[in-house]
Amino acid sequence: MSYFTGLAAAWVVLSPFLQTAAGQRFRVDDPICCEPAPLNIDNLEFRRINEFYDYYRNTFQHPGESNEHASPPIPAQNVNTLGEVLNSAWYTNRKLTHEQIVRGPNDPARAPDASGPWTVIAAKTEGVTPGLLIRDAGGRRYLLKFDPLRNPEMATGADVITAKLLYAIGYFVPENYLVHFSREQLVVGRDTKFTDQFARTSNITDRDVTELLLRVPRARRGPHEGKIRAVASLYVPGQPIGPFKYYGRRKGDRNDFIRHEHRRELRGFRVISAWVNHHDSRSINTLDTVVEEHGVRHVRHYLIDFGSTLGSAATKSKSAREGNAPLFDFRSAAANFASLGLYFRHWEIAKYSYYPSVGRIQYSAFDPERWVPNYHNRAFMNALPEDKFWAAKKIMQFSDADIREVVASGEYSDKGAENWVAECLIRRRDIIGRTYVRQAAALDNFRVADGRLTFDDLAARYGFGGQEEIRIAWARFDNESGAKSDLTSATTLQLPEPLRTAAAGTYWATTIKREGDERSVTIYIRKSAAGYEIAGVERMW
Amino acid sequence: MVKRGVRFGFLCGLLWSGGMPLDAQTRQMELEERRKQDGGVYGDDELSSVERALDWADDHKLLERFTRGIAGFRLVFGNLMPGSGFGLGPEYYREELRNGAVRFRTSIRASTGKSLFGNVELTLPKLLERKAYLDLYTRWRNNPRVPYYGAGPDSKKSGRTAFRLEDAAYDVNAGLSPIPGMRLGITAGYLQTNVGPGDDSRYASTEAAYSTSATPGLGRQSSFLRSGVVASYDWRDYPGGAKYGGFYEARFDYYKDQDLALYSHRRLTLEAQQYVPFANRRRVIALRAKTLLTYANPGQVVPFYMQPILGGQNDLRGYRFARFYDNNAFVLNGEYRWEIFTGLDGALFYDAGKVFHRRSELNFHDLKGSAGFGFRVNARNSVFFRLDVGFSHEGFQIWFSFNDVFGNSGGVAQSLYASRYWPQ
Repeated sequence: MSYFTGLAAAWVVLSPFLQTAAGQRFRVDDPICCEPAPLNIDNLEFRRINEFYDYYRNTFQHPGESNEHASPPIPAQNVNTLGEVLNSAWYTNRKLTHEQIVRGPNDPARAPDASGPWTVIAAKTEGVTPGLLIRDAGGRRYLLKFDPLRNPEMATGADVITAKLLYAIGYFVPENYLVHFSREQLVVGRDTKFTDQFARTSNITDRDVTELLLRVPRARRGPHEGKIRAVASLYVPGQPIGPFKYYGRRKGDRNDFIRHEHRRELRGFRVISAWVNHHDSRSINTLDTVVEEHGVRHVRHYLIDFGSTLGSAATKSKSAREGNAPLFDFRSAAANFASLGLYFRHWEIAKYSYYPSVGRIQYSAFDPERWVPNYHNRAFMNALPEDKFWAAKKIMQFSDADIREVVASGEYSDKGAENWVAECLIRRRDIIGRTYVRQAAALDNFRVADGRLTFDDLAARYGFGGQEEIRIAWARFDNESGAKSDLTSATTLQLPEPLRTAAAGTYWATTIKREGDERSVTIYIRKSAAGYEIAGVERMW
Repeated sequence: MVKRGVRFGFLCGLLWSGGMPLDAQTRQMELEERRKQDGGVYGDDELSSVERALDWADDHKLLERFTRGIAGFRLVFGNLMPGSGFGLGPEYYREELRNGAVRFRTSIRASTGKSLFGNVELTLPKLLERKAYLDLYTRWRNNPRVPYYGAGPDSKKSGRTAFRLEDAAYDVNAGLSPIPGMRLGITAGYLQTNVGPGDDSRYASTEAAYSTSATPGLGRQSSFLRSGVVASYDWRDYPGGAKYGGFYEARFDYYKDQDLALYSHRRLTLEAQQYVPFANRRRVIALRAKTLLTYANPGQVVPFYMQPILGGQNDLRGYRFARFYDNNAFVLNGEYRWEIFTGLDGALFYDAGKVFHRRSELNFHDLKGSAGFGFRVNARNSVFFRLDVGFSHEGFQIWFSFNDVFGNSGGVAQSLYASRYWPQ
């Protein structure tokens, strides 16, 4: 054991005593809602992440603080005493109506203005799928992204749908608008340069744009027949400073004080990525920008580019591997080699319904615990049951109707394709719920009403069980020492007499277990002059 | 199963904060203190030297410059006759002329086996909105170590000799693709051939071991007018590394002897490739059948250096390159491929084929067989590199190649001469 490892171990052992001796378990402002208001930051330079290096580092070096050998495991650090993620420049708890979920981050007033021409101001001509940066008649900038020739509607549909789902969960994402336009809609801006695959810079010509659009599918029927379909992704506000990493902190960002691998919204993003099959959930599909709000410049963290979600791999249909196995895994490779390929994994023999406009996605072989992105990142690897439970709760909040209408906004011309995507998302949501919600006694949203502790039984609500009897044990809780004094006679959800007659400022704990299940949840109630407050929740897994 | 220990998210999270002030009165104060201490401080956020180097290479398109060249110039490897050693040479290639409507390429290459190769081509690939092309092509090559084992399926391995093959070809090719996947093409050109003594100290020169009467074309060579037609249909997902689909082609070529009236003949080439995926396309069985039949004009023969050949990395992989020569050839290949990890496939294969003198012998009797294993390195849905080890009753062969084993047509179960229909 090295000096530093020893020091760390000593700190882990001693810190609870230091903390307990020093003061209260709950502070007067618990549970808080937000991280501290952002501080003004100095200029941060654009920082790119090399995708090959990122792959190598995350596959073979596993940077960041690991939970694998930590005892106890390192929990998420940006949560309040209820286990909810704090609002920040990374994440916002959004309570959206059905209509707001379907609309997502989009605002019709900010959709590309097609009343005038769109001026091409940059182009990505290399690669399989081209992209154009345009300025619309209103002066707003959008990135136009297209579908691969063999899979019309696939990548654009996935991009629009996933952006809305992630926005509703609470992430910052770009506004993605589906547009249909003809070649004549585009004009090339004066002195618009682009760099070709040989690193040569030259002016884009009309012919370049025409040639580029020859690699893009056009609608064959319907109201947009002959038109080109694209996603117009509105440039996110602020000055781009490059992607964020799934570990560490950004040097120079004063507001970035929690290691990314210990942020619950990034750990839980593993489950959410599994849901929408975002196998390409890596750093290069994120973006930090410096925004100015109320005179304060700070960094906001975006997830971007969802063309590789659902059944799409952006430039082609997903392969069965994507989402089921990483690009490289030594043990798998060894097994494949030694077995001459005769060792079949569950996803290799799963049945897929294939729609060209959807790509390859299904649900019958879906197991969120076994789902993997193209390569692991530390935040995903650090995810603990409570992180997954949090993510699962967020996913379970989508109703069937929410999902179906969000999918409909992907504007698939084949109704069967639309139904299949919705069906997959609904079924995958339920599998995630069964997997993770049940892990946590499945009770949530605790509150006191009419002298009773009440809560939502998620298992019953979502049909995963919840018929078992529950057992309740009350205790007085000493917020200074952390000691509990049992109230043996109190075994119902009714607030016990000692609690009702206690002075303001006292704390009480009730532990709830389902019959036959050792997992429990303890709710801490603070009596205040105004009534009863849920001060915290702790779950035993 | 209840995990050991109780996980207090909020409690442990705060305990783990390390160095958190113990006298903070509120949670917000705690977080602000922690931000003051940790915000923006992280030692592992600097670019490493490796990352800087990769970024530099990316910025300067180093890989592209290496593979695509600088100002049109680049180094090219290989593409010489198998067995002629390591080949290398400069190439000038412009694919973006008139916005890609015109392509020009010229190169010269030399190999450690003393082979030389030069070519010039001019292609218009985007005629009729990319549905048609026109291609002008000329090529010169000089291979002093072409193996020859004698004619027929019963030639002896020990009978290996070497001869020099020198030729020049001037071709005009054109084609169109009326529907996706279908291609129709025509070719016309002039071919000059010359055969001379081999230059390989390990083997006798061909004329010293084989008589000119039994080896037509050994003593006298000719020039040819050649023309042909081709029709093909291709529905493979990725022609350079197919996982499913098929490729079917029929060619008919006429070689008219211009000087001696001895070697005029026609050639019919039929090929079918089929890719049968299973396990959600993680495994593939690739099958191919191909035959090349020749029809000599009355009283004339097919010169030995234009006869179909078998053996090598693209057909009978357990035999040496050009191990068998005769008037006709037929080959069957079956290959099972499985993914070891992304970018690397394993392969097990079995090849069977034969050369035969009379077309009536086109059947499944007396096939030469070879079996083996290999690895395919894939990049961008194509085989970038492959290693095959083939075994036969004549021993084993190891092949390093930079193409898919079946690929498109050309040089597979054919002769040293195959008409060029498609721009490469």
